[in-house]
Amino acid sequence: MPLNDADLVARVLLEDDHHAFAELVRNHQSAIRGLLRQLTRSDLALADDLAQETFLRAYKNMRSFRGEAKFSTWLYRIAYNCFREDARKRKELVGVDQSLLEAEQDPQTVDPALRHDLMQALQLLPLHERSAIVLCCQNGLSHDEAARVLDIPLGTVKTNVLRGREKLKRILAAWAPA
Amino acid sequence: MEEQLQEDWLDARLREEMPYIDDDGFTAGVVQKLPAPQPRRSIRGAVLLGAAIVASLLAYLVSDGGRFLVVEAYRLLSMPLLFVSLIAIVLTVTMTAIAACAAWSNARTQR
Repeated sequence: MPLNDADLVARVLLEDDHHAFAELVRNHQSAIRGLLRQLTRSDLALADDLAQETFLRAYKNMRSFRGEAKFSTWLYRIAYNCFREDARKRKELVGVDQSLLEAEQDPQTVDPALRHDLMQALQLLPLHERSAIVLCCQNGLSHDEAARVLDIPLGTVKTNVLRGREKLKRILAAWAPA
Repeated sequence: MEEQLQEDWLDARLREEMPYIDDDGFTAGVVQKLPAPQPRRSIRGAVLLGAAIVASLLAYLVSDGGRFLVVEAYRLLSMPLLFVSLIAIVLTVTMTAIAACAAWSNARTQR
């Protein structure tokens, strides 16, 4: 019978069990790497480096996980912090890229495939709205969980999701069902 | 109604945009970078206990069957009560301070 996250965490804490930790990584790597790919605007190498850093930090700080939130929420929070620290180091512009804004205004440059359009639309959003949309709409976190991950008030998360959704609907209006 | 339809459509497309990412050696890479496992606490405890027993035996043999303990106990009994009480108070305060520091440091690590 496969062990749940709480059992695996207990094994890591009590026995320093690397196999149990590997199981945790296997269970959550897709979600964490997916989140970081969205946050880094599909920079796969950077996203994977940050994902690796996320899991190493999780291992080192496992004792601070008290089980009040889901293990995945705790991991998302570490991943988001890793991303923010890296962005700060790189002095990356975390708002909207000018070139992407121009692309939004020029329908000629938008790829006809919906998948491509959706990815592009997501990347047009400023970081705070993109993070809220990725966590709540793509990863299925509740607004409350997303507020914990992003360390912002619940109301701000709701506003960011609402605004992000509105922008996405506007950008993808041509694809939406009538 | 149309608004809701559009939102459902958007949510469904967003969820589709999170496909499962194959591990492709990612987990192995993370595990490889983990620090080497620490010796288990029970083993550490057994080693400490063993060392303490050996040290006690050595002290017992070297000190002529622990005769110095009896001598020191007699000396303590012959001291004035006030002096003995002072020593006891100082020791209690020191031990309490050490325990409080350890608890505070532990709480900080947990946070």
